[in-house]
Amino acid sequence: KLNIGVDTIQHGVEGLSYLLTESSKLMISEIDFQDSIHVLGFSDELNKLLLQLYLDNRKEIRSILSELAPKLPSYHSLEWRLDVQLASRSLRQQIKPAVTIKLHLNQNEDQTTQVLQTDPSTLLHLIQQLEQALGEMKTNHCRRIVRNIK
Amino acid sequence: ILDDPDLKDIDPTVLKHCHAAAAMCILEAGKQKADISAISTCLEDCKLDKERIEQFCTEYQKNKDALEILLGSIGRSPLHITDVSWRLDYQIKSNQLHKTYQPSYLVTLNVENSDSGSHPDVSFSCTMEQLQDLVGKLKDAAKSLERATQM
Repeated sequence: KLNIGVDTIQHGVEGLSYLLTESSKLMISEIDFQDSIHVLGFSDELNKLLLQLYLDNRKEIRSILSELAPKLPSYHSLEWRLDVQLASRSLRQQIKPAVTIKLHLNQNEDQTTQVLQTDPSTLLHLIQQLEQALGEMKTNHCRRIVRNIK
Repeated sequence: ILDDPDLKDIDPTVLKHCHAAAAMCILEAGKQKADISAISTCLEDCKLDKERIEQFCTEYQKNKDALEILLGSIGRSPLHITDVSWRLDYQIKSNQLHKTYQPSYLVTLNVENSDSGSHPDVSFSCTMEQLQDLVGKLKDAAKSLERATQM
Protein backbone atom coordinates (compact mmCIF):
# COMPACT_ATOMS: atom_id res chain seq x y z
CA LYS A 1 0.00 0.00 0.00
CA LEU A 2 2.85 2.37 0.82
CA ASN A 3 4.84 1.40 -2.30
CA ILE A 4 8.11 1.18 -0.40
CA GLY A 5 10.41 -1.81 -0.04
CA VAL A 6 10.07 -4.16 2.94
CA ASP A 7 13.61 -3.38 4.09
CA THR A 8 12.93 0.32 4.25
CA ILE A 9 9.84 -0.22 6.36
CA GLN A 10 11.68 -2.57 8.68
CA HIS A 11 14.48 -0.06 9.15
CA GLY A 12 11.91 2.64 9.70
CA VAL A 13 10.12 0.68 12.39
CA GLU A 14 13.37 -0.31 14.07
CA GLY A 15 14.64 3.25 14.00
CA LEU A 16 11.41 4.58 15.44
CA SER A 17 11.27 2.02 18.24
CA TYR A 18 14.93 2.62 19.09
CA LEU A 19 14.29 6.36 19.23
CA LEU A 20 11.28 6.01 21.49
CA THR A 21 12.80 3.35 23.74
CA GLU A 22 16.03 5.22 24.35
CA SER A 23 14.23 8.50 24.94
CA SER A 24 11.82 6.90 27.39
CA LYS A 25 14.58 5.01 29.16
CA LEU A 26 16.57 8.16 29.75
CA MET A 27 13.43 10.19 30.44
CA ILE A 28 14.77 13.10 28.38
CA SER A 29 12.99 16.42 28.42
CA GLU A 30 11.00 17.82 25.48
CA ILE A 31 13.75 20.25 24.58
CA ASP A 32 16.42 17.57 24.58
CA PHE A 33 14.22 15.35 22.43
CA GLN A 34 13.60 18.12 19.93
CA ASP A 35 17.31 18.95 19.76
CA SER A 36 18.15 15.30 19.19
CA ILE A 37 15.80 14.75 16.28
CA HIS A 38 16.54 18.12 14.73
CA VAL A 39 19.87 16.61 13.62
CA LEU A 40 17.98 14.14 11.43
CA GLY A 41 16.79 16.93 9.19
CA PHE A 42 13.08 16.11 9.09
CA SER A 43 10.36 18.67 8.47
CA ASP A 44 8.99 20.69 11.37
CA GLU A 45 5.66 18.95 11.11
CA LEU A 46 7.30 15.52 11.36
CA ASN A 47 9.36 16.67 14.32
CA LYS A 48 6.21 17.82 16.11
CA LEU A 49 4.55 14.46 15.41
CA LEU A 50 7.55 12.57 16.76
CA LEU A 51 7.60 14.68 19.91
CA GLN A 52 3.90 14.03 20.48
CA LEU A 53 4.43 10.31 19.91
CA TYR A 54 7.20 10.32 22.48
CA LEU A 55 5.19 12.18 25.13
CA ASP A 56 2.08 10.07 24.62
CA ASN A 57 3.80 6.72 24.91
CA ARG A 58 6.60 7.50 27.33
CA LYS A 59 4.81 6.28 30.45
CA GLU A 60 3.76 2.97 28.96
CA ILE A 61 7.18 2.28 27.48
CA ARG A 62 8.77 2.96 30.87
CA SER A 63 6.43 0.60 32.67
CA ILE A 64 7.26 -2.15 30.18
CA LEU A 65 10.98 -1.49 30.57
CA SER A 66 10.67 -1.67 34.35
CA GLU A 67 9.57 -5.29 34.00
CA LEU A 68 12.94 -6.17 32.51
CA ALA A 69 15.04 -5.27 35.54
CA PRO A 70 16.27 -8.11 37.81
CA LYS A 71 13.71 -8.71 40.51
CA LEU A 72 12.85 -10.86 43.48
CA PRO A 73 9.40 -12.28 43.99
CA SER A 74 7.16 -9.37 44.86
CA TYR A 75 4.33 -9.09 47.32
CA HIS A 76 0.86 -9.50 45.95
CA SER A 77 -1.44 -9.99 48.92
CA LEU A 78 -1.90 -11.79 52.21
CA GLU A 79 -4.75 -13.72 53.81
CA TRP A 80 -4.84 -14.72 57.44
CA ARG A 81 -6.78 -17.04 59.71
CA LEU A 82 -6.94 -17.47 63.47
CA ASP A 83 -6.65 -21.04 64.75
CA VAL A 84 -6.62 -22.62 68.18
CA GLN A 85 -5.07 -26.04 68.47
CA LEU A 86 -7.09 -28.12 70.92
CA ALA A 87 -5.36 -31.48 70.77
CA SER A 88 -2.81 -33.48 68.88
CA ARG A 89 -1.78 -37.09 68.70
CA SER A 90 0.86 -36.53 71.36
CA LEU A 91 -0.99 -34.16 73.72
CA ARG A 92 -4.65 -33.71 74.61
CA GLN A 93 -6.43 -30.76 76.15
CA GLN A 94 -4.36 -27.97 74.63
CA ILE A 95 -5.16 -24.34 74.02
CA LYS A 96 -2.59 -23.20 71.50
CA PRO A 97 -3.51 -20.10 69.48
CA ALA A 98 -1.87 -19.64 66.11
CA VAL A 99 -2.22 -17.36 63.13
CA THR A 100 -2.13 -19.07 59.74
CA ILE A 101 -1.08 -16.87 56.86
CA LYS A 102 -1.34 -17.36 53.10
CA LEU A 103 1.18 -15.17 51.34
CA HIS A 104 0.61 -14.50 47.62
CA LEU A 105 3.72 -13.54 45.69
CA ASN A 106 4.37 -12.70 42.04
CA GLN A 107 7.48 -13.92 40.26
CA ASN A 108 7.79 -13.12 36.58
CA GLU A 109 4.13 -13.58 35.72
CA ASP A 110 3.72 -16.63 37.99
CA GLN A 111 1.74 -16.34 41.18
CA THR A 112 3.06 -18.43 44.03
CA THR A 113 1.46 -19.10 47.37
CA GLN A 114 3.13 -19.87 50.69
CA VAL A 115 1.27 -21.09 53.73
CA LEU A 116 2.96 -20.02 56.95
CA GLN A 117 2.09 -19.98 60.61
CA THR A 118 3.06 -17.90 63.58
CA ASP A 119 2.17 -17.48 67.24
CA PRO A 120 0.61 -14.36 68.76
CA SER A 121 3.80 -12.93 70.29
CA THR A 122 5.77 -13.33 67.05
CA LEU A 123 2.89 -11.67 65.19
CA LEU A 124 3.15 -8.60 67.42
CA HIS A 125 6.91 -8.60 66.95
CA LEU A 126 6.48 -8.74 63.14
CA ILE A 127 4.06 -5.82 63.23
CA GLN A 128 6.40 -3.75 65.35
CA GLN A 129 9.41 -4.44 63.11
CA LEU A 130 7.58 -3.70 59.87
CA GLU A 131 6.06 -0.50 61.24
CA GLN A 132 9.58 0.63 62.02
CA ALA A 133 10.51 -0.17 58.44
CA LEU A 134 7.64 1.95 57.13
CA GLY A 135 8.66 4.81 59.38
CA GLU A 136 12.15 4.93 57.90
CA MET A 137 11.11 6.75 54.74
CA LYS A 138 9.87 9.62 56.87
CA THR A 139 13.15 10.16 58.71
CA ASN A 140 15.28 13.20 57.95
CA HIS A 141 18.03 11.04 56.52
CA CYS A 142 15.83 9.44 53.88
CA ARG A 143 14.04 12.68 53.08
CA ARG A 144 17.35 14.42 52.46
CA ILE A 145 18.53 11.70 50.10
CA VAL A 146 15.28 11.65 48.14
CA ARG A 147 15.43 15.44 47.81
CA ASN A 148 19.01 15.45 46.59
CA ILE A 149 18.96 12.60 44.11
CA LYS A 150 17.00 13.89 41.17
CA ILE B 1 20.76 -46.62 82.07
CA LEU B 2 22.57 -49.72 80.93
CA ASP B 3 25.84 -48.15 82.11
CA ASP B 4 24.61 -47.15 85.59
CA PRO B 5 26.77 -48.97 88.24
CA ASP B 6 23.82 -49.24 90.68
CA LEU B 7 21.84 -51.28 88.17
CA LYS B 8 24.73 -53.51 87.18
CA ASP B 9 23.36 -56.58 88.86
CA ILE B 10 20.02 -56.64 87.15
CA ASP B 11 19.39 -58.55 83.96
CA PRO B 12 19.60 -55.99 81.10
CA THR B 13 16.44 -57.34 79.43
CA VAL B 14 14.45 -56.76 82.61
CA LEU B 15 15.97 -53.31 82.85
CA LYS B 16 14.88 -52.49 79.31
CA HIS B 17 11.36 -53.67 80.03
CA CYS B 18 11.19 -51.55 83.17
CA HIS B 19 12.48 -48.52 81.36
CA ALA B 20 10.04 -48.96 78.49
CA ALA B 21 7.14 -49.52 80.87
CA ALA B 22 7.98 -46.44 82.92
CA ALA B 23 8.38 -44.33 79.79
CA MET B 24 5.02 -45.54 78.42
CA CYS B 25 3.33 -44.76 81.68
CA ILE B 26 4.78 -41.27 81.88
CA LEU B 27 4.02 -40.42 78.25
CA GLU B 28 0.45 -41.68 78.48
CA ALA B 29 -0.13 -39.72 81.69
CA GLY B 30 1.34 -36.62 80.05
CA LYS B 31 -0.70 -37.08 76.87
CA GLN B 32 -3.96 -37.38 78.76
CA LYS B 33 -2.97 -34.62 81.16
CA ALA B 34 -3.79 -36.97 84.03
CA ASP B 35 -3.84 -35.58 87.55
CA ILE B 36 -2.02 -37.09 90.51
CA SER B 37 -4.99 -39.04 91.86
CA ALA B 38 -5.60 -40.72 88.52
CA ILE B 39 -1.95 -41.76 88.32
CA SER B 40 -1.98 -43.03 91.91
CA THR B 41 -5.07 -45.11 91.29
CA CYS B 42 -3.55 -46.57 88.16
CA LEU B 43 -0.34 -47.48 89.96
CA GLU B 44 -2.28 -48.96 92.89
CA ASP B 45 -4.06 -51.25 90.42
CA CYS B 46 -0.61 -52.35 89.28
CA LYS B 47 0.13 -53.40 92.87
CA LEU B 48 2.91 -50.87 93.54
CA ASP B 49 3.42 -50.06 97.21
CA LYS B 50 2.55 -46.66 98.68
CA GLU B 51 6.09 -45.41 99.04
CA ARG B 52 6.95 -46.12 95.40
CA ILE B 53 3.73 -44.49 94.22
CA GLU B 54 4.49 -41.36 96.19
CA GLN B 55 8.04 -41.14 94.84
CA PHE B 56 6.82 -41.60 91.27
CA CYS B 57 4.13 -38.95 91.65
CA THR B 58 6.51 -36.40 93.20
CA GLU B 59 8.99 -36.82 90.37
CA TYR B 60 6.16 -36.64 87.84
CA GLN B 61 4.85 -33.39 89.31
CA LYS B 62 8.31 -31.85 89.14
CA ASN B 63 8.69 -32.57 85.45
CA LYS B 64 5.06 -32.30 84.32
CA ASP B 65 5.33 -28.88 82.70
CA ALA B 66 8.47 -29.69 80.76
CA LEU B 67 6.83 -32.92 79.62
CA GLU B 68 3.75 -31.11 78.36
CA ILE B 69 5.81 -28.59 76.45
CA LEU B 70 7.77 -31.40 74.82
CA LEU B 71 4.65 -33.34 73.86
CA GLY B 72 2.99 -30.21 72.55
CA SER B 73 5.86 -29.48 70.23
CA ILE B 74 5.66 -32.85 68.50
CA GLY B 75 3.55 -32.85 65.40
CA ARG B 76 3.23 -31.39 61.94
CA SER B 77 2.48 -27.78 61.30
CA PRO B 78 2.99 -25.34 58.45
CA LEU B 79 6.32 -23.54 58.29
CA HIS B 80 6.61 -21.38 61.36
CA ILE B 81 7.67 -17.73 61.16
CA THR B 82 10.21 -16.87 63.83
CA ASP B 83 11.49 -13.45 62.81
CA VAL B 84 11.53 -10.84 60.06
CA SER B 85 14.32 -8.76 58.52
CA TRP B 86 13.83 -5.85 56.20
CA ARG B 87 15.92 -3.59 54.00
CA LEU B 88 14.97 -0.23 52.52
CA ASP B 89 16.44 0.63 49.11
CA TYR B 90 16.07 3.67 46.94
CA GLN B 91 16.11 2.65 43.30
CA ILE B 92 17.90 5.07 41.01
CA LYS B 93 18.36 3.26 37.74
CA SER B 94 18.74 -0.06 36.01
CA ASN B 95 20.38 -0.85 32.69
CA GLN B 96 16.91 -0.94 31.14
CA LEU B 97 15.45 2.12 32.79
CA HIS B 98 17.03 5.27 34.17
CA LYS B 99 15.71 7.73 36.74
CA THR B 100 13.36 5.33 38.47
CA TYR B 101 13.55 7.07 41.90
CA GLN B 102 11.44 4.73 43.91
CA PRO B 103 11.80 3.44 47.45
CA SER B 104 11.60 -0.33 47.64
CA TYR B 105 11.56 -2.72 50.57
CA LEU B 106 13.11 -6.16 50.72
CA VAL B 107 11.48 -8.27 53.43
CA THR B 108 12.73 -11.65 54.61
CA LEU B 109 10.58 -13.84 56.85
CA ASN B 110 12.78 -16.20 58.85
CA VAL B 111 11.03 -19.52 58.82
CA GLU B 112 11.61 -22.68 60.80
CA ASN B 113 10.55 -26.14 59.75
CA SER B 114 9.68 -28.19 62.82
CA ASP B 115 10.39 -31.45 61.00
CA SER B 116 13.78 -31.04 59.45
CA GLY B 117 15.02 -28.02 61.36
CA SER B 118 15.84 -26.41 58.03
CA HIS B 119 15.41 -22.71 57.40
CA PRO B 120 13.63 -22.10 54.10
CA ASP B 121 13.34 -18.31 54.47
CA VAL B 122 10.79 -16.45 52.39
CA SER B 123 12.02 -13.26 50.74
CA PHE B 124 10.10 -10.79 48.67
CA SER B 125 10.22 -7.19 47.55
CA CYS B 126 7.43 -4.67 47.92
CA THR B 127 6.64 -1.01 47.51
CA MET B 128 5.70 1.23 50.39
CA GLU B 129 2.01 0.87 49.59
CA GLN B 130 2.28 -2.90 49.50
CA LEU B 131 4.10 -2.97 52.83
CA GLN B 132 1.37 -0.78 54.31
CA ASP B 133 -1.19 -3.26 53.03
CA LEU B 134 0.76 -6.13 54.57
CA VAL B 135 1.12 -4.42 57.94
CA GLY B 136 -2.55 -3.40 57.89
CA LYS B 137 -3.63 -7.00 57.41
CA LEU B 138 -1.31 -8.25 60.16
CA LYS B 139 -2.73 -5.63 62.50
CA ASP B 140 -6.26 -6.85 61.67
CA ALA B 141 -5.19 -10.35 62.64
CA ALA B 142 -3.70 -9.07 65.90
CA LYS B 143 -6.85 -7.12 66.75
CA SER B 144 -8.93 -10.18 66.03
CA LEU B 145 -6.69 -12.21 68.36
CA GLU B 146 -7.16 -9.65 71.11
CA ARG B 147 -10.93 -9.76 70.73
CA ALA B 148 -10.89 -13.55 70.78
CA THR B 149 -8.95 -13.65 74.04
CA GLN B 150 -11.51 -11.39 75.67
CA MET B 151 -14.42 -13.66 74.88
